Amino acid sequence: MSGSRWTWRLVALPGVAWLSVFFLVAFYTVLAVAFGNQDTLSQPVPHWNPLDWNVGYVSEMLDNFWHGGPFWTVSLRTIQFVALAVLLSLLIGYPVAYFTAMHAGRWKGAILLALILPLWINYLMRMLAWINLLAPDGVGSDVLHSVGIEDLFLSIGLLDEPGGWLNGQPVTVILALLYGYIPFFILPLFVAIDRIDRRQIDAARDLGASPASAFFRVTLPLSWAGILAGAVLIALPMFGDYYTADLVSASTQTNMIGNQIDEFMRQGSEKVTGAALTLLLSTFLLALMFYYLRTTRRAGTAAEV
Amino acid sequence: MVQKPTGPGGLPLPRTDNSVTWAITDENKPVKDGGSPEPGPLRVFNYADYIDPATLKKFQKEFSTKVEVATYNSADEAIAKLSSGAVDFDLIMGLSGSNIVDLIAHRLLAPLNHSYLPNLEKNVWAELADPFYDRGSHYTVPYVVWMDGIGWRNDKVKEDIAGMDVPWDIFWQAQAYRGKVGILDDRRDALSMPMQRDAMHKGVRPDLNTEDEDVVNKAQADLSELSGICNPKVAITDYQTLPEGKTVLHHSWSGDVLAAAFYYLPEGTPPDVLSFWGPDENGVVQNDFFCIGKGTKRPVLAHSFINFMLDEKNAYDNFVNFNGYVPPQKGIDADVLLKQDLIPKTLESAVVRPDQFASNQELLQLSVTGQRFWDDAWSKFKAG
Repeated sequence: MSGSRWTWRLVALPGVAWLSVFFLVAFYTVLAVAFGNQDTLSQPVPHWNPLDWNVGYVSEMLDNFWHGGPFWTVSLRTIQFVALAVLLSLLIGYPVAYFTAMHAGRWKGAILLALILPLWINYLMRMLAWINLLAPDGVGSDVLHSVGIEDLFLSIGLLDEPGGWLNGQPVTVILALLYGYIPFFILPLFVAIDRIDRRQIDAARDLGASPASAFFRVTLPLSWAGILAGAVLIALPMFGDYYTADLVSASTQTNMIGNQIDEFMRQGSEKVTGAALTLLLSTFLLALMFYYLRTTRRAGTAAEV
Repeated sequence: MVQKPTGPGGLPLPRTDNSVTWAITDENKPVKDGGSPEPGPLRVFNYADYIDPATLKKFQKEFSTKVEVATYNSADEAIAKLSSGAVDFDLIMGLSGSNIVDLIAHRLLAPLNHSYLPNLEKNVWAELADPFYDRGSHYTVPYVVWMDGIGWRNDKVKEDIAGMDVPWDIFWQAQAYRGKVGILDDRRDALSMPMQRDAMHKGVRPDLNTEDEDVVNKAQADLSELSGICNPKVAITDYQTLPEGKTVLHHSWSGDVLAAAFYYLPEGTPPDVLSFWGPDENGVVQNDFFCIGKGTKRPVLAHSFINFMLDEKNAYDNFVNFNGYVPPQKGIDADVLLKQDLIPKTLESAVVRPDQFASNQELLQLSVTGQRFWDDAWSKFKAG
């Protein structure tokens, strides 16, 4: 037994070492830059020794958040965009995952393939395609107009003018995020639903539950881990995304926190501020991640009981 | 006496009233006279899509050598890569007065030997042959020039922008073009635009290299007002979006509007739907450099390349066949382009004239503190 345990540990070693080096070293570098300084040439000077850390940049950033400065505005907007995109992913993705797992029969493989197919095309290319589709004379724009979605969005104020999808509209950015990431939500959710023991649903029905009641009291709770996994899988990259907003909008009214980090790190001379902002975003995401791990562990324990 | 702000590394900040001669030191001397071009490849570091591949081919053929071009997407990225020491190039193109002190402070450049550059004196505008930011052209030679202005679709925008008292006001009156307006995605260019507008209203000369925090913050507040008025895109894709009609009014670099007319018009759209206005005075003019990298092993070949690009024919071909940015050549002006029917009359003012260099201002490198004011204001604007 113990021999086999060691074999598996050895097999896992390269992967663990890879992640440790490329996650921990990179993360520590961000820490050392964020708690470092910059030289007279505006280049970052990392402080590798925690005893030498300079909290100035990070505390300035926190101060900005605390007093409702621009970083607060942009963070709040990012949270709203991501929350809405995740919610829409759930509303659209759950029925797809449920149907595929429960009712697709021999079409299951084909549907899964169709879900994965768009991922063969580069994310940027897919977003660039949307620019042409959503242009005032684009096919996508025409379709949205003819099925009445454009009128609906105009009437509730989500769209400024007919055909104006690319005029810096928050709704376009949210829909683009939804489109870009939804396959990553559906796939883990499909796995979770597919693994549900159908006899549990049958038992609920036998004991008098209506189909709806069986769904809400059995299927949904049993697929909760899949929902969470999908949500985490898409929310994490969405929080750092900057090119989606850049491509389909480019308005300051739709800039996300990733755009600010990009501005500091790639375009500007304030890389230390950029590192401090990266650190704060990571801390926030880490908190989300812990919540996810705790919830799934609880769900696992409950299932064992 | 007021202490003048200094640049990175404590070096002086060149200004028109404070010209700078960068020293040539014993440990970094120019290549000796009379050498032959070394064998290639010539390694060039340039902005993406900023030189004509056909012109490069011609050089390779003429000098029986190879040119390898590596590209960057922003000046900061270029400086960061060069100063890290991780990359080493024979020739650096596309950086400007906004970066000159960085280039010198990081010791990234080799001094030039003018005996290899006869075309500099022969062809280049006198205004730029001995510029205030590099007296004696010790380290830099001008590549192309441009100005900041307004590009618009005259078939969609009906106001007589060029005839307005303060043409910049059009952005603050652009409610009708909401969502189809663009502002340059560059902190210095974008924030200097409301500064110019303010100065035009007051009839004063602005300092577009100001380090006065209040002036910079006022510019940011004015620029942020535009979000409510016309929700502008912050982008540098006007050379595509204007000809395609995805934007109809754009804060533009003159070179982009010319490039739009040269290559980006969809079939059936005539070039005279594009208009450009740029100020004769108190606006922004810029020029990009050719420089030789300090670590070059092919200094004569690199000089030969610069001289080749300063040849009038080569400069012209690179301009009209690909780049769209005007080379500061004595023999190339708007008349030449109009006569050859290359640009419509509506774009005449996008071809920068030598006299505009004296009456407009270059955006020059700031002190570290001054830069911070501009960076913070920009970040505030971008947060929306």
